[in-house]
Amino acid sequence: MTLRMRFPAGGDVSVADLLAPDGAEPLAVGDPRMVDFLTTVAKRLLTPALARRHPELGSLGFFLRRRELLGALERLHGTLGSDTLVFPRGRVFHVPPANVDTIFVYSWALSALAGNTNVVRVSPRSAEAADAVLEVLNASLAEADPVVARTQLMVTYGHDEAVTAQLSATSDLRVLWGGDRAVENLRRHPLAPAARDLTFPDRSSFAMLSVTGWVAASPQRRRDAANAFANDAYWFDQAACSSPRTIFLVGAAEPAEEVRAEFVALLDDVVRERGWDVDAAMAVEKRVGAYGLAADGGVQRMVFHRNALATLELAEVSATPRHWLGAGTFPFVTVPDLAELVPFVRRRDQTLTHFGFDRDELMALASRLGGRGVDRIVPFGAALTFAPVWDGHDLLREFVRLVTVND
Amino acid sequence: MLTDVFTLPQPDKEKRLRDELNALVSHHRQSCPPYARIMDALGVRDEAATVAELPWLPVRLFKTKKLVSVPDDQVIRVLTSSGTTGEVSRIHLDREAAASQSRMLARTLATVLGPRRLPMLVVDRPGVVGDRRSYSARGAGALGMVNFGRDHRWLLDADDRPDVEALRAFLDQHGREPFLIFGFTFMVWSYLYEVAREHGLDLSQGILVHSGGWKKLADRAVDNTEFRRRLGADTGLTRIHNFYGMVEQIGTVFLEGPEGGSLYCPDFADVIVRDPVTWQEVPVGTPGVIEVLSTLPTSYPGHVLLTEDLGVVHGVDDGHWPGKRFSVLGRLPRAEARGCSDTFQGGTP
Repeated sequence: MTLRMRFPAGGDVSVADLLAPDGAEPLAVGDPRMVDFLTTVAKRLLTPALARRHPELGSLGFFLRRRELLGALERLHGTLGSDTLVFPRGRVFHVPPANVDTIFVYSWALSALAGNTNVVRVSPRSAEAADAVLEVLNASLAEADPVVARTQLMVTYGHDEAVTAQLSATSDLRVLWGGDRAVENLRRHPLAPAARDLTFPDRSSFAMLSVTGWVAASPQRRRDAANAFANDAYWFDQAACSSPRTIFLVGAAEPAEEVRAEFVALLDDVVRERGWDVDAAMAVEKRVGAYGLAADGGVQRMVFHRNALATLELAEVSATPRHWLGAGTFPFVTVPDLAELVPFVRRRDQTLTHFGFDRDELMALASRLGGRGVDRIVPFGAALTFAPVWDGHDLLREFVRLVTVND
Repeated sequence: MLTDVFTLPQPDKEKRLRDELNALVSHHRQSCPPYARIMDALGVRDEAATVAELPWLPVRLFKTKKLVSVPDDQVIRVLTSSGTTGEVSRIHLDREAAASQSRMLARTLATVLGPRRLPMLVVDRPGVVGDRRSYSARGAGALGMVNFGRDHRWLLDADDRPDVEALRAFLDQHGREPFLIFGFTFMVWSYLYEVAREHGLDLSQGILVHSGGWKKLADRAVDNTEFRRRLGADTGLTRIHNFYGMVEQIGTVFLEGPEGGSLYCPDFADVIVRDPVTWQEVPVGTPGVIEVLSTLPTSYPGHVLLTEDLGVVHGVDDGHWPGKRFSVLGRLPRAEARGCSDTFQGGTP
């Protein structure tokens, strides 16, 4: 039962070694030693060469700049009364998705900022970007206070239930990513009575485009919108939890049809200009997905423009799929107004990206949804931008404990 | 070698198939609502002018959707494929489709086996044929084939170990006249070939029919040519026919000609190789994705299917039998996406 140390980089360790008390003075919430370390990491992530190779690491770098970290701490303290003290929660065990995208770094970094001792399981199947992050973290250790290396641990191990069980049993908070099945499987391992889970299960996300807003927009703004939407959709093969899938056209049917045609044509241009493509197996996968949806009914028309771009016209909102249809598959459905979406929305719906609506319309929609579903409403281009409030949780707040003192 | 199913030159075949498959398209549209909805959404209106224009379904759709063109109470058999990702295809046969698939399979195989049932050696274990209403691909393959032989001998015991004495006894009894050998390619190599070579057994009167792909043998640097050469040199077995077929088009087998190296299409079936970017048919000699066409699927819309196999057409009307000659080159690598959502359900991360 050994684990491979990824951060701090090293050889194999046992769970017992990993959990051994280190006697170090614990970290505080917003500990300057941790803020310094994360700031160093941010600088390295923002090196042009690295950001070019992995654009998503650039976004992560921005998120970890000193100003951002201090801002997050300030917001946390701003929500607390003068009789409330804030402390780290303790030991946090993170299980990010099987093929790690950078999101796990965000949640770990916030937990570290909150002063917790962290154990992160990095999947053996982790992607290149994750390896790059680990390299940066290790390279930044040289300048860091030793407490960082003693309290922040990232390990890789296989499907070892015993390890997972032991790490679960000794944690105060367990952070689970990676879909309903993964969450269910991991939850079979009990936590200590006072500990709790923070889960990130399967989510579905959509885009909405105002027909009148589109018509009013300049040609340049329309092109920018298609560009921003393409980033949202194609960056993670449309498979990230916040990647938009179905596009709701909101407005009158007749102009909506023209808007769709223009939007699809612009999207097609973007895909071609960027040279984005999908391989043959993905192209077949998309047919399986789209044909399957058509077999179930509700698809009036489907068009395979090229391997990287397929569009489906849906008869009604209820035909909207919540599952992935393959990279670059876009169902469209026209609704007369935003109110039509209210009965459709469910708990698992996460991000609505929007174009052409004003703030009042968006606020009105959010109020009517009443928190039943949809955690973020963000403009085209911001779907994948991670925020400290994610999936309805204020993460920094989740990673701390509150102590009240009344006299 | 007499045949009544490898007879049609390509132009004649395409004309006949085009008409029969167009008729099947409209039959399934009338009888299978999910299929009709797919055709409607694709905007399929007129009959296809050529076989290449016939609308195809991705073969994996049978793993995600129930597609059947007869009422449930007429389904007499449901075939299932083995699934690598937990998904299985479900193929529904009624009496008529079941009868025509076994009849046409028999006529196809009679081309190489002759009209009479031969003593048969199965390179598998008897247990592989289980419940008669639902079979695994391996079971279905073996079960489909056992009808073409008699005095069956199963080479493997319950633990998949070859029974050398049983093989020797079979050869003592039947080895001086033609006999049929059936098995999956990899198993034939690992069990029959290696055992026969080691014990100096004579398989020269055998007619081997095998299927299942070359992937597992690629590690041992064994391709079709090497397979044939070594079996011939070390065991005397020279009548060898690989075949390509799938549970989604049960009864249709694309059979290797006696000269080896090429698969041929029976008169009621054909293949089209498509460019994986444009999805247009590619010229002879250009590799692409294999589409299989067959007039046998009448109880489910499996008449025109895009497979996830790569292949190449070597020639048309220029081989031992008329029609297209082709090879299967392997599988399309499975698509994988990155992300954090419901595309990744593979257990504990």
